[in-house]
Amino acid sequence: MKFGNKTPALIAKIMLLGALNAFTIWCVPILISHKTWLFAIYFTISTLVLDYVFLSKKRIAPKYIVPGTVLLLMFQVYPAMFTGYVAFTNYSNGHFLDKETAISVMVSNSFAPVGDATNYMQVTKDNLNGKITLIIRNNDGSFGAGTRDAFRPIPTSDVVTNPDGRITKVSGYTTLSDDEVFAILDQFNDFKVPIGNSKFYSVSDINAVELVEQNLSYDASKDQVTDILTGTVYSPNNNGSMVSDTGEEIEPGWTTTVGWRNFSKVINDERYRGPMLQVLAWTFIYAGLVVLSTFFLGFLLALVLNHPRMKSKKIYRTLLIVPYAMPSVLSTLVWAGMFNQDNGIINRVLGSPIPWLSDPWLAKFAVLLVQLWAGTPYMFLICTGAIQSLPSEVIEAAQVDGASPRQLFSKIKLPLVLMTLAPLLIASYAYNFSNFGAIYLLTGGGPTIISSGGIAGHTDILISYTYKMAFAAGKGNDYGLASAVSFFNFLLVASMSIYSFKKSRTIENMT
Amino acid sequence: MIVNDLVRQKPLTAAQWTKRIAWRHAVGVLAVAFALFPLIWMISASFDTIGSLSAQKLIPNKPGLENFRTLFGNPDQPYLTWLKNSVIISSANAILQMFIGATAAYALSRFRFKGRKLTLMTILVVQMFPQLLAATSIFLMLADLGKSIPFLALGQTSALIIVFAGGALGINAWMLKGFYDTIPSEIDESAKVDGASHAQIYFRIILPLARPVLAVITLLSFIGTMNEFLITSVILGGNQKSLTLAVGMQQYIDGQYNAHWGPFAAGALIASVPVMILFLYLQKHVVAGLTAGANKG
Repeated sequence: MKFGNKTPALIAKIMLLGALNAFTIWCVPILISHKTWLFAIYFTISTLVLDYVFLSKKRIAPKYIVPGTVLLLMFQVYPAMFTGYVAFTNYSNGHFLDKETAISVMVSNSFAPVGDATNYMQVTKDNLNGKITLIIRNNDGSFGAGTRDAFRPIPTSDVVTNPDGRITKVSGYTTLSDDEVFAILDQFNDFKVPIGNSKFYSVSDINAVELVEQNLSYDASKDQVTDILTGTVYSPNNNGSMVSDTGEEIEPGWTTTVGWRNFSKVINDERYRGPMLQVLAWTFIYAGLVVLSTFFLGFLLALVLNHPRMKSKKIYRTLLIVPYAMPSVLSTLVWAGMFNQDNGIINRVLGSPIPWLSDPWLAKFAVLLVQLWAGTPYMFLICTGAIQSLPSEVIEAAQVDGASPRQLFSKIKLPLVLMTLAPLLIASYAYNFSNFGAIYLLTGGGPTIISSGGIAGHTDILISYTYKMAFAAGKGNDYGLASAVSFFNFLLVASMSIYSFKKSRTIENMT
Repeated sequence: MIVNDLVRQKPLTAAQWTKRIAWRHAVGVLAVAFALFPLIWMISASFDTIGSLSAQKLIPNKPGLENFRTLFGNPDQPYLTWLKNSVIISSANAILQMFIGATAAYALSRFRFKGRKLTLMTILVVQMFPQLLAATSIFLMLADLGKSIPFLALGQTSALIIVFAGGALGINAWMLKGFYDTIPSEIDESAKVDGASHAQIYFRIILPLARPVLAVITLLSFIGTMNEFLITSVILGGNQKSLTLAVGMQQYIDGQYNAHWGPFAAGALIASVPVMILFLYLQKHVVAGLTAGANKG
């Protein structure tokens, strides 16, 4: 083999590094402008490290490891740690912003109309700088030109109106037709022209503005928001909201740490404790039953179909792994259709509308049956492999010693296969422990546990429960609480992994 | 051993066969029926021109392609776009995951450097914290990052691909390192004598030797991504146009089983068949890959 020309590789390397550096130089200022400090720092450091590693002649091993590690840290390690942080915050709908932004949003959104009259307005473009400018007729009949930043009076003689009172011409400005205004309508959503004294002209119609007044003001020294019109004082509570004495909250709130509140909610609040315990117990039982049932059916099939005198074993094997080869999302949805209460094939064959997916126990049964279907092929495959590699001397010796087929099975084959497959069975348990699709796509976690306020269901496992807490429509999107439960899920899954590493002696075998 | 048995043993008489083998076929046929029924039911539904759950029969009513026409004809559920997204995301992810894992594994297997054991341990520990469980954090993180970097925003397929690439190192590096360890290092040594750089050894010797294993890993990643539901729906869920088949089909059928059953089955059929053929074609290698972990204990 010839190993001559290294130039193409060098060119590729330089181009990739160039692209990386260009990306970082482009995005870091933007990240800083959005105050996303952590990622700005991370991108800068990662790029410097990658530059160093790839330009250095010595750092050979890191060239192969660092790129994957940079991604790993950002998208796997950081999210895991961030989960730990979010678990101690009130991150949820209405608590998405930092405090400073939340208060400025609160204040700038607080507009109360002054009176109920509207003023005539015409949208124009400033001929000098091309800015959208509103020509507004004040109550006293004078005119002014307003932008988001300023309002400046213009002489009445500059303005030409038609008999209807519409402005047709303004010197120094180009009027826009209604159609032109419609085309850029979304620019006017929060278009407000400041006219001093916390008063603004706010666009209310395509040809009209109304006078509004900012009624909230923030006093940084007292950390209080005051309603200028009513005199009500709002102070921050410990949940990231401004609240009045009477308990009235201003939207939006901000993200703040809330200590152990999310955890104590799960443990002490009755709406969460009961369902949580139920979900937790079902998660363990569900994963256990799936592993047991699929292992036994798979093992049995492997034993039965592995007889030396049997023909067409290969055909059986190919057909039996079909459920494993079929995309599980789609097959689970097909099962959901087959279990459909009114029209599904299962009830049509049985001739009665059995509520498979809406009765707590039947839904559990359905979930297990579908997983038995989906998981058996895998167990069948690995058991077949394990049986075929059983030491034949041991089995022959047992036969010579007069072991019955039953003894051969329970005293020799089963223990040997179990020993070989233990790490895979543990891995399978951990997999089923967080097999979101198996639950969510069949039953959606339901039927609902009534005492849970509609979030937890009878077939929910931890991961589908957290998903619903965080993302289910209309359930408050409580990311903080969901993260607290995820955090707990992490601990459980991690302890399973540690156990499995010990069992398979992965660490001792590390060379 | 099995061959020897067959040679040694006499052919079974009909009576013996009935007693010792026939029941095994009975069990096999039952198991196959259970395994295949949902697939057969799905195929039947996709060709049933009535297209509803309640009227479907095992042998389709007036078989035809009506469901496929409905499936492709409705812009509200852009099936072909979903299919395209799934193929793009799954291919990109399969290749990235394979490549990142294969690359790191090469260094871990071939070089002795400071921090090597630490790296191995770290990868092992990181595996304990699967991305799946951090879906909420990933969502919040992208909601934040997307304000600055458009291709990392929620709803972007590129964001999903990069997030998945982040999980790659933890998934395959360990297993592949084990495989590389079985390739004799004399091969690299002699290439080095011929003047090969470390990169040339990697790309032109190690990667080609590992091709069968890498093919299986790529295939399994591809299927895994096709099937991924949780993170995909969290990141892409709000954007109809960038959904994958898995998420799109779920949204399509959810709550509309009776009305959408036929077209759904047609779509599921199109999506399943290529994957199943590929899987069955490579089954030997896949099985070898599955059991690889079992021989350590």
